[in-house]
Amino acid sequence: MEQVLVFQLGEETFGLEVALIQEVVESPHLHYIPRAPNHVLGAINFHGNILPVLDLASYQGFLSGTRDHRVIVLPPEVCSLALAVASIRRIIPLDAEALLPFPREQQEQLYIRAVLNCQGTMINLLDTTRLLASLETV
Amino acid sequence: MRIDISYKFIMGFIIVVASIVLLNVVAPHLGIPEEWQQLVTVSVAILVGLILGSIFSKAFTANIRHLTEAAENLSNGNLSRVVRLRSTLFPDETHDLALSLNRVVESLRELVGYIRTSSTKVAESSQNLSATSQQITASAHEVTNTIEQVSRGAETQAEMIERCSHLIKEMAISIDMVASSADRVEDSARDTADNAQRGGDLARATMKKMKQVLGEVEQNGAQIVSFGTQVQKIGKIVEVITGIAQKTNLLALNATIEAARAGEYGRGFAVVAEEISKLADSTGRSAGEITDLIGAIREENQKVQASMKESIGEMDAGREALDSTGQAFEAIIQTALGTQVKATGIAELSQKQTDGARELVVAIDEISKVVTDNAAATEEVSAASEQQAASMEDMAHSAQALSALAENLLDVVKRFQVGTERG
Repeated sequence: MEQVLVFQLGEETFGLEVALIQEVVESPHLHYIPRAPNHVLGAINFHGNILPVLDLASYQGFLSGTRDHRVIVLPPEVCSLALAVASIRRIIPLDAEALLPFPREQQEQLYIRAVLNCQGTMINLLDTTRLLASLETV
Repeated sequence: MRIDISYKFIMGFIIVVASIVLLNVVAPHLGIPEEWQQLVTVSVAILVGLILGSIFSKAFTANIRHLTEAAENLSNGNLSRVVRLRSTLFPDETHDLALSLNRVVESLRELVGYIRTSSTKVAESSQNLSATSQQITASAHEVTNTIEQVSRGAETQAEMIERCSHLIKEMAISIDMVASSADRVEDSARDTADNAQRGGDLARATMKKMKQVLGEVEQNGAQIVSFGTQVQKIGKIVEVITGIAQKTNLLALNATIEAARAGEYGRGFAVVAEEISKLADSTGRSAGEITDLIGAIREENQKVQASMKESIGEMDAGREALDSTGQAFEAIIQTALGTQVKATGIAELSQKQTDGARELVVAIDEISKVVTDNAAATEEVSAASEQQAASMEDMAHSAQALSALAENLLDVVKRFQVGTERG
């Protein structure tokens, strides 16, 4: 059974499959990257590898308020990238029957592949493929 | 040489007879005819008798006339003249009579002068007496008036004294009341002093307690400060626990991720990781609650410290107030003791005053009696002075009558002309 890490972006609740996560780490010192785009906060040293940190909230157009001191590190086979979110909640099981389809045409800017109804709370599942694709084009 | 009238007559007769005898002897010798001789003798005798008779009778009648005039003068009251007869060689009874008359005149003159001066003096004296008695009458009237005034004054005095007596009796009652009030004041002052003593003792005891409480409060303050530091230490420990919980949570999260990656093999591990995550969450929540509690405790602690400081300040003020209260009680005790002494003095004094007032009442009663006696005596004096006034008026009338009598006497005596030389 697949599991989802639930986190907050602004007022919205998002989810990311655990299979797409390498590790959740305490954000060590954030190195400033000169001439980087606004949504790149800086870079961290992750077990000897330099990973850029993406401000997921501001990249998707949310108001970036508070930020969790932990960052989500993606597996190196997916992308060498860390995601900064407002706050990391918990890991919940992904019930495939509770998945609701998300009308993609509605928001081109939002990288959501489906909506999970978890006891009344709508959790937007992050579409990493499109997100990474959009990052590639930048 | 005094010769009585009878002898003078005899002498004249003898001379006539002698002349006849002589002529009878002498006639024949003178050449007168015989026939004529008898005739001549007779005629010469008659002539001699006529001459002698006329001389004698003239002298005699002159003296008698003088005497008659003097007697008439005397009867008319003229005492100014002295009877003076022609002095002769041979004075007789007429001269004696003249001398006697002169003596009578002299005596009368003295008598009249004496009566005149005496009656003048009597008149003067009686006038003086009259004036004096009138003055005395006036004085007696004045005395009567004065005595009436005195009598009225005595009546007023009696009324006044009665009022005085009444007032003094009221005063005695008031003084008795003052005395009983002073007794009550004394009792009250004693009670006040006792109460103030107890109050002072209480204030001292309270002071002692308060000092004790203050010491305890200061101790409590120190304890609360140390408690605050302890709580702060707990807070630090809780922070550590919170960090551990967060790390545990992260580890659980990563463990879950790792377990998911391990697939079927990691399932049991995933359950353990989830439990750990739950524990970590629970620990975190508890730590958060503890932190909240610590915050509340610190807040409360600060409040307690502040209120304790306030309490200490208030207690200092209370201590000062208690000090002043103790002093005030001391002052009250002194005042009450003074009041007690004064009240005792007042009670004694008012007792003396009561005695004095009683004596005063007795004295006033005696004065009242004396005044009543005085009034009676004054009425008697008034009656006496009225009688005196009446007597004086009688005396004045008598003096006037006496004066009238003296004037009558003077009038009577005025008839007698005493002459200028005697006044």
